[in-house]
Amino acid sequence: MTSDAWSRALALLPDLLAALLTGVWMTITVTVGAFFVSLALGLVFAACRTSSSRVLHAITYVYVELFRAVPVLTQLFIIYFGLAAIGIRFNPVPAAILGFGLNGGAYLTEVFRSGILAIHRGQTEAAMSLGMPRLMTLRVIVLPQASRIVLPSLANFAIGLLKETSLASAVAAPELSFQAKLLVDKTFLTTQIYILVAMLYLCMSLPLSQLARILERRAARGRRA
Amino acid sequence: MTMSLFLEWMPLLLEAAVHTLKLAVLAYLLAAVAGLFVALGEMSRSATLRRCCRVYIELIRGTPTLTLLFLTYFGLASVNIVLPGFAAAVLALGLHYAAYMAETYRAGIAAVDRGQYDAARAIGMTGAATMRRIILPQSVRVILPPMTNSAISVLKDTSVASLIAAPELMLRANDLASQYYMPMQLYLITGAMYFVMAYPLSLCVRWFEYRAGRGQHRV
Repeated sequence: MTSDAWSRALALLPDLLAALLTGVWMTITVTVGAFFVSLALGLVFAACRTSSSRVLHAITYVYVELFRAVPVLTQLFIIYFGLAAIGIRFNPVPAAILGFGLNGGAYLTEVFRSGILAIHRGQTEAAMSLGMPRLMTLRVIVLPQASRIVLPSLANFAIGLLKETSLASAVAAPELSFQAKLLVDKTFLTTQIYILVAMLYLCMSLPLSQLARILERRAARGRRA
Repeated sequence: MTMSLFLEWMPLLLEAAVHTLKLAVLAYLLAAVAGLFVALGEMSRSATLRRCCRVYIELIRGTPTLTLLFLTYFGLASVNIVLPGFAAAVLALGLHYAAYMAETYRAGIAAVDRGQYDAARAIGMTGAATMRRIILPQSVRVILPPMTNSAISVLKDTSVASLIAAPELMLRANDLASQYYMPMQLYLITGAMYFVMAYPLSLCVRWFEYRAGRGQHRV
């Protein structure tokens, strides 16, 4: 029975892969979309967090703590099912991009904040004493230096995000895990298909973790210099 | 939402939250123990063992929790090893986070200066004694914040177990949401309950980091 399943999986392999690859593209779409939403939110809130306004501080604190302490699946269900019940309907893919983006933004806020704080205060003070406005100081002086520090964290965040998008299958976004579920229902080749799925996720995440390692090495070299 | 509905839901949700906590604690314990073995294996003298542990970490870190969960639940069932949802979730989450724990332990041990190790060996301590009495106590300060962060992640990831129908908070919320068709209210309450469980841990991390930072300045 079991060896039969493996040979059946082998015979079906081209069809399985073709179906799963459409899912791979959707996984990449959701990951990239959510990554940019997170990036934008992270930058904005990190700027708020390092500003001198106490109100902006409080808003950022609440955003970060709320989104980091609640499972992303719950957030996704609030956006997809919850909002739909009060008349705001999203398609699965935009809902997933929004959900993972909002969640990721909270993480990146902390990443950017620690990156900004790692830059010596003297740099900001020097820019201010030259008469640079605050936002310009952030943009021209602090962020370019902080970017080298945060790049490895960004790569690691992208890996986490890529894997997290598998949860979008729960709101029927047609990404890799969802395609896998459809195929399993059709063929009953559970183990075989999920091993294939694991390998496809690995193919996407291993280059990213290689990138993270290179960026980490570069950041470490920069610190020593 | 009326108060009576809220009062009707809360006992059911609280009961499910207890299951969530049980699931999180068991998965975390499994991860902490298995992770220690993987970390020690990574530092062993045998090259084969080192490589196996490395491959395990890379495999786990490159695949979603959901895939591992489906493999332990549906995959094992297809070869006639039928685990209940709860046990499968403990196993999958535990094995998943073991890889992250192993990395944490390794970073913690690497953070202790090599001179400490050499000094312990020079006064005749065995390798195991050096580990237990010199290296690990110093590492604890470094690994406490990431270990607490892992606890938060495990707690939140237990929600994924609802996708294999393991009895926990998210599954109960799904059931009630479809029964009453009030998803917004139910998922917001559920989110608040997760927040109440996870936020204290998040405060612990801040405190540990503050303490560790202070220790560094004093030296």
